[in-house]
Amino acid sequence: MTKFFDQYGTKLWEAIITHLEYVLVSVALGFVIALILGILLSRVPKISKFVIPVISVFQTIPGIVFIGVLFLYLGMVPLTVLIALTVYAVFPILKNTYTGLLNVSQGYKEAAKGCGMSSMQSLLRVELPLAMPNIIGGLRMSTIYIVSWAVLASMIGLGGLGDFIYIGVSTNNNILIIAGAIPSAVMAVGLGLLIDALRKKVIPKGLRGERA
Amino acid sequence: MIEYRNVCKTYGKKQVIKNLSFQIPDGQFVVLIGPSGCGKTTTLKMLNRLIEMDSGEIYINGKNVMQENPEKLRSSIGYVIQQIGLFPNMTVEENISVVPHLLKWDKERCHKRVMELLELVSMPYNEYAHKYPNEMSGGQQQRIGVLRALAAEPPIILMDEPFGALDPITRDTLQDEVKSLQQRLKKTVIFVTHDMNEALKLADYVVFMDQGEILQMDSPEGILRVPANDTVREFMGKHVHSYTQSQIICSDLMKRKVIKATEEKKTLECISIMNQHEVDSLVVVDNEENFKGVVSIDTINLRGKAGNSIRDLVETDVPVVSMETPAKTAFDILNEKRLNYVVVLTDTGKVAGIITKTSMSKALASVVWGDTV
Repeated sequence: MTKFFDQYGTKLWEAIITHLEYVLVSVALGFVIALILGILLSRVPKISKFVIPVISVFQTIPGIVFIGVLFLYLGMVPLTVLIALTVYAVFPILKNTYTGLLNVSQGYKEAAKGCGMSSMQSLLRVELPLAMPNIIGGLRMSTIYIVSWAVLASMIGLGGLGDFIYIGVSTNNNILIIAGAIPSAVMAVGLGLLIDALRKKVIPKGLRGERA
Repeated sequence: MIEYRNVCKTYGKKQVIKNLSFQIPDGQFVVLIGPSGCGKTTTLKMLNRLIEMDSGEIYINGKNVMQENPEKLRSSIGYVIQQIGLFPNMTVEENISVVPHLLKWDKERCHKRVMELLELVSMPYNEYAHKYPNEMSGGQQQRIGVLRALAAEPPIILMDEPFGALDPITRDTLQDEVKSLQQRLKKTVIFVTHDMNEALKLADYVVFMDQGEILQMDSPEGILRVPANDTVREFMGKHVHSYTQSQIICSDLMKRKVIKATEEKKTLECISIMNQHEVDSLVVVDNEENFKGVVSIDTINLRGKAGNSIRDLVETDVPVVSMETPAKTAFDILNEKRLNYVVVLTDTGKVAGIITKTSMSKALASVVWGDTV
């Protein structure tokens, strides 16, 4: 064990940091993009009827294919990985934001309007807070997905915990595989817990226990 | 004053509001009523432009609503919708201050207003202000809904079937509260309902609508006495019936023989009188035969002492009717309060007779089968 850490310790640490960076940057970017897109789409349900299914189809394209294609255009730079991961992070959050906003009962929207709120005020004070449980649910899903998708970065030689797993697989070295797998699993669980804690903070008290 | 002038609204091919014109004077409680799909809610919502009219004009105090900024217009008109109206992500205090907030009142003024309003409906600030809607009953929530509409002191309040989802008892209480608030604060209220009881109870004016037109606009009394046409008559159902029937009044069906006792009578004496006549209470009068109240055998058993007079046991707060009161009223009292009888008084406050459930059913039988009372 000590021997392993002597040999790979620094590398493993670097890989974890790189991996975490990929995840945090792409989820953060994805979250912002998805939130904005989700809000825009929820305002024009007519267009959304076409856009949302198209997005769902995109989501089924395997990450490997997407990274591969991007690699051809952008080359071996971290941007390639970040773009690919960001796009994948967008999907679940976008979908949840959109459905969350759409599911806000007509009654609340009308009450907001009837009180004299503008469309923006209604969004910020009523609709987004009410959609928050859904949005955070999407964020959680995205984060956990992206932790596993980020393994693909090493496929185009850009590091992360995938390095350990790929090398381990190709050299039939179980310890290396485990050295890559355990930190990613821990990272997924840890970030999930972090978001659960965040969820408690941002979901309005009056909604807790009412909707999942 | 609110004035609708030739207002029309069409959804697709269906014209839901047909050339509507009417006026509402300030400080009146106006109830829009009619079968579903008659256009009453549309009429209401066009006032604060939640629904835009196709043609025509609506004026509030001479100002055309179409020329106002819709958000500003809405925040200057109170609005209460069905139960769902409170924002679940906000506390009671936040919900009430929604409109003052939009109008940029400072914090202190909002806070003061919330305290004031909660006091108005006797909900202590400390207990309720920080609750969330899902921690309260439907009735309490809707009370807050009404307060929210009152918060920025708008002269006009719109209510769209606000009590439809409440149980009958809560609904009744809230109706009383809203009516008394409206009278105390001198607001103009426009209230949509399909419940005739509610309309008759609350309205200064009832506006009866059907298929986008006003069939009748009148006081509750007027609409009951002379329904404009068969649609109105049918909708009012039992209410109209009782009033248009040749009126049977209380003196027609009361029992003139009443078992009475004076206040000086002793408890045991009263019990023996009751036993003798097989009744469970006595009508109490003074020496001039003036009505004082009633005394029941239960009260005597519970609180009476042998040898004492019944003076302290008399219940004075009992419903009475006069000889000219329509029999229907007596019937309603018997039914609602679950009493065995109601006392009929003369104009001078003497006991004229009593109406029991038996006399009431005899009277009903006479109507149905044509017997004499």
